Amino acid sequence: MPAEFSGGPENSALSELLDLSMPADGEAIGAVVDSIAETLAQLEVPEQKRFEVALAVQEALANAVVHGCGNDRSKQVRCRLKSDPQGRIVIIVTDPGPGFSPERQPDPKRGENLYADHGRGVYLIRQLMDEVHFERSGSEIMMWKY
Amino acid sequence: MVPAEDSLDINVRKRSQVQVVQLRGPLRMGQAVDGLRQAIQEAVGGGDTRIVLNLAEVPMIDSSGIGLLVRFLASTKQLGGNIKLVQPNKFAIQTLRLVGVLNLFEIFDNDDAAVDSFA
Repeated sequence: MPAEFSGGPENSALSELLDLSMPADGEAIGAVVDSIAETLAQLEVPEQKRFEVALAVQEALANAVVHGCGNDRSKQVRCRLKSDPQGRIVIIVTDPGPGFSPERQPDPKRGENLYADHGRGVYLIRQLMDEVHFERSGSEIMMWKY
Repeated sequence: MVPAEDSLDINVRKRSQVQVVQLRGPLRMGQAVDGLRQAIQEAVGGGDTRIVLNLAEVPMIDSSGIGLLVRFLASTKQLGGNIKLVQPNKFAIQTLRLVGVLNLFEIFDNDDAAVDSFA
């Protein structure tokens, strides 16, 4: 499981690779995810890592659209992609919502939850990424991939 | 790996009382999941609860897509049917395994084997 604590790897030397904003619309997610995947491909990030990052971003943006913005298309979700000199990648997704309590997420692998149609997004992000930090009361997620 | 387009092509045909659904594109939140939901609902509504989903050309399944698959798996089974998967790629398998639902599904190498398994 990834570490989850305030802070994380030193942020000061991060290079910004992408800074994208999108309306809080599920249909807008794919283009942002694909832009990030294409940027990682240009950086020759291996396919397995690209996939894991892309799926984590997909889930983070979906959470921001549905829970952070209530599917209100007039609201904006911001997604930034950065890297550090060691080649580590961080994606920061920010929404204007009130946030949430990530520790209160149910375990989707528990028997009664296996057939649920929701509740797997944050769990997947934690499994796919190396570090996950929730900031701004949960309205911003920082996801690190080494 | 991840197509530039967000669309999911859905092709449905019936073989030996089994609905074979061929998908092409990412199965993720939005029109893709909504479109597949509608296709399966139409099949089930028409009395067809035996469904084969060919995932060979699906590069990504997100949690929204997983939710759809497991809900319809449960509902078709309750009606005496099933949803069986064909050729999910390594990323789809990884995703299904991560959330603990991979073993809920029967998985086949091709459509014929999946269709025949209903006999």
